[in-house]
Amino acid sequence: MAVRARESNSTDLHGNSESVSASLTPDQRFAAEKAFSSVLVNTVREAVGNALGHNVLEILTSKGLLDDASNSREFDRKLQSLFGNGAAVLERIVVKDLSRKLGIRYDSEARLDYEKSLETAKEVCFVGSRLK
Amino acid sequence: MSGSEVLSTLLASEVRGDILVLFHRNPGLIDTVDGVARRVGRTTIAVISDVRELLQLGVLRQKRIGNSEVVFLDRAKDRELLDSVASHLKTVRIGGEK
Repeated sequence: MAVRARESNSTDLHGNSESVSASLTPDQRFAAEKAFSSVLVNTVREAVGNALGHNVLEILTSKGLLDDASNSREFDRKLQSLFGNGAAVLERIVVKDLSRKLGIRYDSEARLDYEKSLETAKEVCFVGSRLK
Repeated sequence: MSGSEVLSTLLASEVRGDILVLFHRNPGLIDTVDGVARRVGRTTIAVISDVRELLQLGVLRQKRIGNSEVVFLDRAKDRELLDSVASHLKTVRIGGEK
């Protein structure tokens, strides 16, 4: 049931994604992209810092882990190269924290699609921008 | 145990990641395994093997308070293990090359 609810939630957001993006002015869209990127980078920093400590976070930052963190594919590739199977654990921590911050339902039993989860989170940011 | 092995052990499961985050966010936390499970939104059965692994690794320690067995973060050991992870990651190049 919880899995269905989550999928339904994501589907609803994706179903509206084109209209949400299209309804934003370029300035609103830029602001929303910037806001999302900032929330995401902060969340990744917190997730890595809380899981592995601040020394590890600083090393990974210096190696460019957080450069272009809103590019989910690139971030996923970097995490895989550093952590192997552990990358999925860090991605779950990131998605869980991000969901909490943005008020999105998170189901720990559901299979995680990191890219799709970030798209969902981004749409929530866009909806928030449209409502402002 | 090498930094690479420590890293693999720490991030071996989502539950273990949640427990680590819980104790790193609340380094003074002392609680029973039941309490830890509740705090990460799981059942005791779901967390017990991960708590055992973290006890074995030395990140967590166990002691008896009254009638309860409680677990808590061994801050010194945790720092030592995370330092070994940091040393390992210094040698890893993002993209997979060493």
